[in-house]
Amino acid sequence: MNHNAWLAALTGELRRHGVGPDLTGHVVAEAATHLAKSGESPLRVFGPPDAYARAVADSLGGPDVRPPRRHPGPVRLAARGITKRYRGRTVLDRVDLTVRAGEIAAVVGANGAGKSTFLRICAGLLSPDAGTVAVHGTLGYCPQDGGTAEFLNPDEHFVLIGAGRGLGRAAARRAGRAGAAALEWTPPPRTQARHLSGGTRQKLNLVLARLGEPDVLLLDEPYQGFDRGTYLDFWHEVWRWRDAGKAVVVVTHLLNQLDRVDTVLDLTASRERDA
Amino acid sequence: MNQERRAQWLRGVLDLCVLALLSRGESYGYELSQALRAHGLGTVQGGTLYPVLLRLQRSGLLTAHWREGETGPARKYYRISPAGSAALRAAAIDWSAFAASVGAILSEEPKR
Repeated sequence: MNHNAWLAALTGELRRHGVGPDLTGHVVAEAATHLAKSGESPLRVFGPPDAYARAVADSLGGPDVRPPRRHPGPVRLAARGITKRYRGRTVLDRVDLTVRAGEIAAVVGANGAGKSTFLRICAGLLSPDAGTVAVHGTLGYCPQDGGTAEFLNPDEHFVLIGAGRGLGRAAARRAGRAGAAALEWTPPPRTQARHLSGGTRQKLNLVLARLGEPDVLLLDEPYQGFDRGTYLDFWHEVWRWRDAGKAVVVVTHLLNQLDRVDTVLDLTASRERDA
Repeated sequence: MNQERRAQWLRGVLDLCVLALLSRGESYGYELSQALRAHGLGTVQGGTLYPVLLRLQRSGLLTAHWREGETGPARKYYRISPAGSAALRAAAIDWSAFAASVGAILSEEPKR
């Protein structure tokens, strides 16, 4: 099997094993570089395409060997007694949440439990009927959708949002592209946001929330439309931010990551208490 | 050396060897495989090496970026992260203790 045939077969097998398109591109390019350099047969260096694709997929879902947890730092976000009513219905009833530097809090609950409402209140976009929110440090917020401007390309987004965080044009572009690379995404230079897929727009949203490295990150189900590889990238990034001392709040309905967060705020319970 | 046994041993320590090589400076896959060979570990095939690199990157112990080569295609360069350096330091101590224990057992005089 020649190089190109083997690389083409690998591309197909990686897809079959649920590896996302961006990461697939990287793995295939890296293999191609190695083969060009060593001049050896791909079967000898990497083995059959399906076996190598399986090894790659396994290494993505393999055991997590993150460094040991650091001690959480000072309180970054303190929400006390948050209460919100819509048309006589109590959506949030005296909800408390404290998140320290170096901690991840997951906000869970059924649809309509007030997860997004709670996050918008924490972000200062919505006023509670009672209760207070104290944020110590800078704040980044990633909405569930929206948040991008249809007619701007990714670089223009980086510059626009970066300016609000005190970054110059070049620094903002650099930070944006670095954030995108961490999600295995290379932003196309001239593509307007309206031409990006839903998952890619969410990557852009997430990168924007992170510009300027805010101390507190509020993420409202930011992984919608992500493929499996990007979803894993996302959680690895969240853990990295935590290890870098950020306070992260993630709204999620996927419970399989909850053993890897520090605090779980279940809003379903809050409503049932009310009923 | 028994090839199969060496492969088995290597499986347990390849990630540490990679971290140690990268603690001396950034490198890319092919160069790392050459360095492992130069250190007497034999041929570590790409099919073994790259999944290890990917796992270390996912765990935040390595960072990676693409850079155009002076000749040929772009290369993915790996660099050890502060977390990777910390993990390497801890594991190197554990490994010395482990290797010393194995050495002590293997070199014990048989009982009369």
